[in-house]
Order: sequence, then C-alpha cells, then structure tokens
Amino acid sequence: MAAEEHSTGIAGHLQYWTYSFQQDLPVDERNPFMQIHIDTMLVTGFVACLILFFSAWLKGRIVEGAPIGAQNAVESVVGFVNDTVRDNFPVHNPLVAPLALTIFVFIFLCNFFDILPAYLLGHIAEGLGAPAFRPVPTNDLNLPVAMALVVFSLVLYYEFKLKPIHFMKDLLLQPFASLLLDSKNPVVKLLGVALIPLNLTLKLIEELAKPLSLSFRLFGNMFAGEVIFLLIASLLLVDNMHDLMSVSGVISEIIGFVVGLAWSFFHMFIGLLQAFIFMILTVVYLSIAHQPVEH
Amino acid sequence: MSIDLTLVGQFVVFITMLLLMKKMLYVPLNDAMEARTKKIEAGLAAADAGMEAKAKADADAALQLDAAKSKAQEIVSAAERRAAEVKEEAVVKARLEAASIVDAGKEELASEVGRAKQGLREEVAGIALQAAEKIVGVELDAKRHASLIDATIAKGFDVA
Repeated sequence: MAAEEHSTGIAGHLQYWTYSFQQDLPVDERNPFMQIHIDTMLVTGFVACLILFFSAWLKGRIVEGAPIGAQNAVESVVGFVNDTVRDNFPVHNPLVAPLALTIFVFIFLCNFFDILPAYLLGHIAEGLGAPAFRPVPTNDLNLPVAMALVVFSLVLYYEFKLKPIHFMKDLLLQPFASLLLDSKNPVVKLLGVALIPLNLTLKLIEELAKPLSLSFRLFGNMFAGEVIFLLIASLLLVDNMHDLMSVSGVISEIIGFVVGLAWSFFHMFIGLLQAFIFMILTVVYLSIAHQPVEH
Repeated sequence: MSIDLTLVGQFVVFITMLLLMKKMLYVPLNDAMEARTKKIEAGLAAADAGMEAKAKADADAALQLDAAKSKAQEIVSAAERRAAEVKEEAVVKARLEAASIVDAGKEELASEVGRAKQGLREEVAGIALQAAEKIVGVELDAKRHASLIDATIAKGFDVA
C-alpha cells in the first residue's frame, strides 16, 4: 500500500504544471504541442531575471583595478570561459564567448534547483493551488532542446556564411564525393548522382545528431538524477508516527538522509559537469563550423 | 516528456538572456579585464624597461667606477711619486741648509775665536805691561811698546 503511494508520489512529482491553449476542446482532442509548462517557464524566468538583475547590479560596480567580491567571482567564471573558447576556437568571434558563458551559467543555475528537497517546491505549489510543480527546468526536455536548437542554428548559419560551397558539397556528396568528382567513368558518375539523396540523408542524420545528443545528454542526466532523488526521498516516507518511531523507520530515515546528502553532493557535481559539457560542445561545434576548408 | 510551446518560450528566454547578458555582463566585464590586462602588460613592459635601464645604468656605473678607480690609482701613484720627489727635495734642501748652517757656524766660530784671541791678546798685553811695570818699576808707554808686546804675544799664541 505504502509502496503504491510512493510510486504514485514519484509519478505525480514528475508531472508538469501545464496550461493548454485549447481549453475548449476535450482533453483527448487537444494538440499536445499547444500547451505550455508553467513551472518550467516560471523557474527559467526567475533564473533569467536573477542573472539579469545581478548583471545590472554588477555593471554599475565594475572597476578596472583589482576586482573584489562579486566582480572577482564573476571574473573567474568569465576568465575560465574565455580561456576555454580561446583554446578551442581558431578565430575571433564576439558571439561565442558570451554564448558559452550564458549556457554555462544558465544551465548551472537551473541544475542548482535540484539541491532543494525533492518534494519541497511541489508541496508549496500544491499548497498555493498548482496541480504540480517541477523545480528543475533542465529536467524539461524543452529547455535543453531550445538551447541545442540555438546552437544548431548558429552552426548552420556559420557553415553557410563562411564556406557555403564546401558545406553544400559536404551535404550532398559526402561520403561518396569521389564517385562524382574523381571518376571519369560516366556510369560511376551517374551512380554518384544517384547517391546524392543517400548522402543528404546521412549528412542530415549526422547534423541532427548534434543537437539531439546535446539536449538529451543534459536532459537524461538531470532527469535520472531527479528520479534518484525521489527514490531516496521515498525512503523517508512513512504512513504514520508509529512507523516513523519504529526501529526500521529510524534506520530507513538515517539511511535516506545519508544517501540523500551524498547524492546531493554528487548531483551538484553532475550539474556542474553537464553545464561544462554543454558549453564545451557548443564551442567545439561552432569551432568546427569556423574551421577553414582544407584542400 | 513532451515538446510543446514551452520550447518556443524557452527559446525566447534563452535568446533574450544571451543578448542581455552579453550587453550587461560580458562586454563591460571583459572590457574591464582587457583594460586591466593592458595596464598590467604596460606595467610589466615598463618594469622590464626599468630593469633594462637599471642594468644599463649598473653597467655604466661599473664602467665609471672602474675608470674612477684607475684614475684614482693614477692620482695616488702620481701623488706618491710627487711625495717622494718632495721628500727627496726636502732632504736635499735640508742637507744644504744644514751644510750652510754648519759653514756659517764654522765661520762664526772662527770669527769668535779670532775675536777671543784678539781680546785675549789685548788682555794678555795689558797684563804683561802691568807685570813689566811692576818688575821694571817704570811706567811703560803702551803705544810705544804695543807693537813689541803684540809681536811677542802673537809669537806666544802661535807657539800655543
């Protein structure tokens, strides 16, 4: 009975606070795309406002001399991002470092919400009348996909802008370009032309794999982390005071607390690592797009 | 797990945040960092230039010190030579002066001896006259017998 309630609690916690733009239609007939996750939007909006207010506050206090306090801390992050971009990027592009910084800071702060007790915000939101609330926006696939699409769009933009002929050749002819370009046999050349749709398909899969892997890596790690948090938290759930005060109840509380604490620290490291991986892969993809054509 | 209009919302949030963070945080902070880096580089360059100038000044000072030492050595040597010359001159001069003093002394002594002899001669002559007067019992004429007395005394002094 208790296990069933726990599993219901976990499943309930994995629900979004959703608003459908097709309220007048029955639930079964609604288009699943025409809805919005209010909890994700609220938390990302809160994080964005937090970052922007902090930026505005810091902007008026920036000094060129020896930095102290908040400026010192932020300069450490900016310096780290600048070094990462400088080490991986062949040319100067004024957009790449700010993009990398935004991705790193935004993902890290969003992941940071996972350190809050698993059911806390959900219960508070329920108390305020919300049907459900998921506090970590990176657990919502929409956020990683949106960021990955921004990166993917920029990669395509720079590929087309910097080396359009090479990119089109790569898109249509690779990996069988030699059939069409190098061979003098008309039959082989015809085969090369015939293989263009296959080349295009392979290349599109290769390109689409980038944003997919980028977004699903972040989403999968954070989602799994949250589920483990919920499972650990379920160790703390008991039916009544008698169970709580029993020997097994006390042991389960202690184990749950220790394991939860250990997992919190580990998950914070995972959150930081995922933010760094998303950032470094963004820089690498854009770096590849900026690489000069080799002849 | 579903893709819906949240994606559009997140897209807007992310793009907005990217643009605003670039303008409000990254660019001013990066400018400040670059300005500081340039300042530090300029300071380091100035420090390097200062170090080079100091090394050059040290080398110049060492050269000048060596030259001064050589010159001082020359001066000391010249002074020592001059001192030796002065000393030699003084010694020679002293010797000459001593010799002249000795000569003058000798001359003075000779004249004193002469004067003493003359005085003694006159005194002896006077005594001899007085003695002779007493012996002879008559008054002798000093002027008349002076030459005789002097010749006798001179003869006696010469014998002495």
